[in-house]
Amino acid sequence: MASIDLDKMLVKIKSSQWALADIDWDAPGADLITDEQWPKLKAFMADLMWIEHVGARAFAAMAKKAPTETLREIYTYFHAEEQRHANAEMALMKRWGMLDGDEIPEPNINLRLVIEWLDRYADEMPVYVLGTVVPMLEVALDGALCSFLLETVDDPVCHAAFQKINDDESRHLGVGFTVMEMQGRSKTFIQLTQMVAPLLDPRLILGIASYFPLLNKMRDNIMEMGLPEEKLYNAMRKFEKIGGRTADGRRNPWFQIISRHGRFVINRNNRFYHAPVDALVKVTQYIPRRALPAVPSWVKELTYRPAA
Amino acid sequence: MNTPSPSAKKPAKTGGTRKAPVKRPSVKAVAKPVSVLIIGAGFAGLGMAIQLQQAGIRDIVILERADAVGGTWRDNRYPGAACDIPSNLYSYSFAQNPNWSRSFSGSGEILDYIHYLVSHFNLAPYIRFKQNVTGLNFDENAGLWHASIEGGDTVRARAVVMAQGPLSNAIFPDIAGLEKYKGHTIHSARWDHDYDFSNKRVAVIGTGASAVQIIPELVKQAGFVKVFQRTPGWVLPRPDFETPEWNKALFRKFPGTQDALRKALYVTHESMALAVIWNSPLTRIAERIGRLHLRRQVKDRWLRRQLTPDFRIGCKRVLLSNDYYPALQQPNCKLVTWPIDRLSEQGIRTAEGIEHQFDCIVFATGFDVCKTGTPFPITGLGGRALHDEWARGAQAYKSINVAGYPNLFLTFGPNSGPGHNSALVYMESQLDYAVRGIQKILDEDLKMLDVKADAQAAHNKAIQARLANTNWNSGCKSWYLTEDGHNVTMYPGFATQYALQMRTLDEADYRRTPMAGG
Ligand SMILES: Cc1cc2nc3c(=O)[nH]c(=O)nc-3n(C[C@H](O)[C@H](O)[C@H](O)COP(=O)(O)OP(=O)(O)OC[C@H]3O[C@@H](n4cnc5c(N)ncnc54)[C@H](O)[C@@H]3O)c2cc1C
Ligand SMILES: [Fe+2]
Ligand SMILES: [Fe+2]
Repeated sequence: MASIDLDKMLVKIKSSQWALADIDWDAPGADLITDEQWPKLKAFMADLMWIEHVGARAFAAMAKKAPTETLREIYTYFHAEEQRHANAEMALMKRWGMLDGDEIPEPNINLRLVIEWLDRYADEMPVYVLGTVVPMLEVALDGALCSFLLETVDDPVCHAAFQKINDDESRHLGVGFTVMEMQGRSKTFIQLTQMVAPLLDPRLILGIASYFPLLNKMRDNIMEMGLPEEKLYNAMRKFEKIGGRTADGRRNPWFQIISRHGRFVINRNNRFYHAPVDALVKVTQYIPRRALPAVPSWVKELTYRPAA
Repeated sequence: MNTPSPSAKKPAKTGGTRKAPVKRPSVKAVAKPVSVLIIGAGFAGLGMAIQLQQAGIRDIVILERADAVGGTWRDNRYPGAACDIPSNLYSYSFAQNPNWSRSFSGSGEILDYIHYLVSHFNLAPYIRFKQNVTGLNFDENAGLWHASIEGGDTVRARAVVMAQGPLSNAIFPDIAGLEKYKGHTIHSARWDHDYDFSNKRVAVIGTGASAVQIIPELVKQAGFVKVFQRTPGWVLPRPDFETPEWNKALFRKFPGTQDALRKALYVTHESMALAVIWNSPLTRIAERIGRLHLRRQVKDRWLRRQLTPDFRIGCKRVLLSNDYYPALQQPNCKLVTWPIDRLSEQGIRTAEGIEHQFDCIVFATGFDVCKTGTPFPITGLGGRALHDEWARGAQAYKSINVAGYPNLFLTFGPNSGPGHNSALVYMESQLDYAVRGIQKILDEDLKMLDVKADAQAAHNKAIQARLANTNWNSGCKSWYLTEDGHNVTMYPGFATQYALQMRTLDEADYRRTPMAGG
């Protein structure tokens, strides 16, 4: 699979837009959610929706840092598209009676930390850091969460919505991997080393401190839902496989770091990694909500209503 | 200089509705050729007529497609419309107005000033309204331009001045579904003064110079306003003050004091060139002022981020406003930065999947600036078409003449635009130059006064070299540039430099063909 032409991709993105209004949220089928599924699905959807929203914010940061005008525009669209996914997932939750009135579901504490970090520091991160983390999360989502959801939920409206969401995601991945390769290409060893310099940046370390527990926490939630752990790991392996398919991709040090980290996550026996991170997940559950600053105002843009 | 009548006493008028006092019958092709034909009755066309008249040339016809004078200021009557260069500089030095009510006058007051020019200099007899010029053709045997007018009439003239305006053709953006939307639509340059905004849900598309003036006013009137932004511009504070009465009296009594203010304003704006045109330490300072202005007026971090420009100041037109940022934060206003996907029957669909529904959409989306091609076909020597020659970007000699199109004078021609100073300062240099050229044609009875192609090429080579290191060419997309990034609109230098360029008409650069010898 050769790298894609980003200019053509932008045209394709623009012509593939859809809106919540394209879906009939009141169509029959909502009752196909079983009573047993309902509470777990509610927690799952809330996480999923927040992950989309966090992905949106990451794309917003990437748009600011994009090296070309085309990429800037692509990321601006992806920012909006992730928001659209979050909105659509909220509309599903509304359909399934999972929203209390107009309330946006509460994000779990690990997401809350990631939101906080994104709001403070994402714009200052070099584009290749987010440019590698985001495809990783997208693979995990696309490959595991969404397909799992579709396997367990029979509601046709859910399928219709995720058909559209997955179409968008395939474009996100295409661009994500292409950019990772671009960053590995035609860079000298010294430049590649410099790309890793931000690792020493305390702001990034903070980010890592919120990202690692999020992954483990997600893993826990998913298994709660009955997703075989193996599915998530397969998806993460896919990241390593696609990202490393070309020499350029493999040269990107951030690909190396993230995919190696992915291997840690997958390997449950790696106590060296999981013991502290799982501990972190536990510890974070004790952070009092009051200790966190108010949610940033971009969070308030979420809505399940097709028309405003 | 006589004192203009105090404009403040005139009743406020509404856009484009002023009728010509008398409608003259249109002239048939058989009519005698005129000495000078001027296309357009805005600041440029009227200023041209005044200067020609001062030089003793009175055989003039002005063709204006609308039914009133004023151009920009007749058309742009949206709430909040005003100039963003101080009125004392955004006016003609040969017709100063001591009565400007504030530093930046509103469009009504500017339009009154234009009407004052017409009556004071007795220009009405020259003007023919509702005459839309659709083409210009040079007859090289007779040395005459033929102007075709919509409806079939023709006017012939020894010399033609193009004063049809750089920003006179309003455009709607290229958005899918534009024709599907069923609600009310208004373009900023064609304001609908009869529409009642109270309790209406209103969208404003665009955040340029017009939008930042409209939005604060709309927020006061409408039920809810959503502002759709693609790229945020630099906004600087607007030092706008009412002129105290004693000040007006002083100007009336001692016009010299107004001259002095005008000169001071001129120098101040000239120094802004350093910040706006080139990347200099002043550019950094201007950007810092912009960021401080934003920080002081917008407390929310995300909104501030949405409003922070990501290009160098000066690359696009700098916006001046004290009330734009506060307006966006009113409870009945919201900034939307999601990309627009399409218009639907009821509103605007953006990429986050939501349909924003409105009673009315205001398009503050600017104008079709002729950067490639011409507003109507212009045919010169040997049937050459200016539209073709300019297909890849307009080009002229000193912005005013084009080789192969004799006796034709452009106002706001290629590379004559100011980024930091009053357009009318530049205009005065162009008017003087055109008068000199036209005088030569008439006095020496020339059939053709045609600039030499190599002189034009040399001029453009120098201009483009100087443009290469300006802020306009620093990478942002703007209406200053052609699709392939050529800057054919802006003049890369101080107004003083431009004036110097226009001061002399260098005969060696022209080919002169006498009437008799032809
Ligand atoms: C909202 C706005 C604010 C501005 N503020 C400033 C400012 O603060 N400072 C500044 O320096 N500049 C400003 N400008 C730029 C402004 O356009 C010029 O300063 C100046 O007014 C242009 O005068 P003009 O006579 O060349 O063109 P116009 O005023 O546009 O007049 C052209 C005339 O030609 C007529 N016409 C056009 N085509 C034809 C045709 N084919 N046949 C017959 N008639 C035709 C039009 O109807 C119009 O009346 C502003 C522009 C806008 C739109
Ligand atoms: Fe998504
Ligand atoms: Fe995605």
